[in-house]
Amino acid sequence: MKAVILDGIVLGLGFGLLGVGMTLVYGLGGVLNLAYGEVAVLAAIVVAQAMAGGIPTALAAVIGVLAAASTGLLLDLTLMRPVYRQSGGNKVLLGLLLTLGVAFVIEGVLTWRDPLGALSINVAGKPISILGVPLAVGSVWASVIALAAAAALLVFFGATIFGRAVRSVIQDELGARLVGISPALVRAVIFALSGGLAGLVAVTQSMTAPLTVNAGFNLTVTALIVSVVGGLGSVAGAFLAGVLLGIVDSVSAYYIGRYITSIVLLGAAVLTILVWPRGLLGGGQG
Amino acid sequence: MWAQQARRALLRGPSAHRQVAPDQSAAGGIVPLLQAEAITKHFGNVFAVEDVTFRVGDGEIVAVVGPNGAGKSTLLKMIAGLERPTSGQVRLAGRLVHARVPHQVRRQGISIVMQTPLTFTSMTVLDNATLGAMFGPGHGVLTERRARQRAADSLAFVGLAQRADDPVASLNLHQQRFLELAKALAGGPRLLLLDEVMAGLNETEIAASVQIVRSVRDELGVTILWVEHVMSAVIELAERVIVLNFGKVLAEGTPKAVMRHPEVIDAYLGKAHIA
Repeated sequence: MKAVILDGIVLGLGFGLLGVGMTLVYGLGGVLNLAYGEVAVLAAIVVAQAMAGGIPTALAAVIGVLAAASTGLLLDLTLMRPVYRQSGGNKVLLGLLLTLGVAFVIEGVLTWRDPLGALSINVAGKPISILGVPLAVGSVWASVIALAAAAALLVFFGATIFGRAVRSVIQDELGARLVGISPALVRAVIFALSGGLAGLVAVTQSMTAPLTVNAGFNLTVTALIVSVVGGLGSVAGAFLAGVLLGIVDSVSAYYIGRYITSIVLLGAAVLTILVWPRGLLGGGQG
Repeated sequence: MWAQQARRALLRGPSAHRQVAPDQSAAGGIVPLLQAEAITKHFGNVFAVEDVTFRVGDGEIVAVVGPNGAGKSTLLKMIAGLERPTSGQVRLAGRLVHARVPHQVRRQGISIVMQTPLTFTSMTVLDNATLGAMFGPGHGVLTERRARQRAADSLAFVGLAQRADDPVASLNLHQQRFLELAKALAGGPRLLLLDEVMAGLNETEIAASVQIVRSVRDELGVTILWVEHVMSAVIELAERVIVLNFGKVLAEGTPKAVMRHPEVIDAYLGKAHIA
């Protein structure tokens, strides 16, 4: 049981990282980015191509993360601008349709150009024992990176000027504008950060298992579930939800079967909406 | 003692222009701080504000009054960048402001306090005021330490120093409006727009608000344009009153003169008011 829970925590840290990028963009711009998983896959393929071209793994990973961040920024500066001008249901629908379209385009291009593309980063070394449970070095590295990213994000949003500006826009955009904050600038930076996080997820996930060209949809759905359970707009909530859902995923896969995990995770999201409509830590609480 | 130190600190900061007496020459044609020239706002076929021209001199307290739907709040929103005029111009110290968006207007030196407080509820009182201090006119983006110091000074100025570490949700409406004022002052505005900030307050709270607004002008040198329905406060505080009705200027002058104006009595005050 200890090993199952530890596996769940490792998985959940990745889930948390995945959820943060989705939740921030929704909290700021009211856009559920359905292209999020495809941006991660795009980053994975960029890293894989760079490594195949002889670039060292670490540098290739940085290039992949930057490529994903640039994609996020480009999305914000182009297709998302008309979305931000809408309100209510129109805004949500237009955001969903446009990002779904982007997802189709990225998936189509990647499948066309590199149908067997996949990223697998092998981290050499003997398994490391944690609480008496041997964990693959790749899993440990992925967890350490996710934890470091979580800590950096929490410090960024809790203790920096820009982090406060982001939280203020999430909580009350009009109030933020009236204290001199530009929501457009904040959204652009956060869309880029979200893309970068998708790239980082691609790198960490590929340390534990190959990330294939058709993984985008699953990544998007997982990110959506994590952000709903954590509370849309909440960074801490996304990480907490990620870890809890990772444990739920791992336990249900072990005791029932892998086939059931997607249903269990979706059930958790539905239950959260019914019981805690604002998610575990509410929206926009940092 | 604390409040006096806060006043001195705010005066040393970038918001301080000078301690002023009201610029009585504003109506007489010398370059004013704020100029609204023939500004008009349509919403479809509805004229919310039509061809309104007025000036506010540096250091003046000018009130805008009128019946509901007269266009008072729309007027303030156009100056604050929240609404774009259909036509006409707004200038602050000679520079056009009406084509800008709210955060640019704020950085140019105009802050607005709305009737409904726009506080950031998950943050403390000090964090809210710190956000107000970070992006002010003239001083760009402050460092964390300077912004917090400036925020603390603003809170002390409005009498909320003791509540700095409390969550915003623990403040009542009156205190939340003072927090909004602290956020506005922390940015160092040249012109402060107040939109019915005394609505819903009791007499004691109105008296406290009048005192604070007066000290904002007298001690910090901030010019004030103020939309208000509480006429007792307007009479006590305003040096000039602009009366709007159906989006147009109906009368302009000292509070006493305006209150005797027959059209103002008919349209807004009612005969009972002067009886």
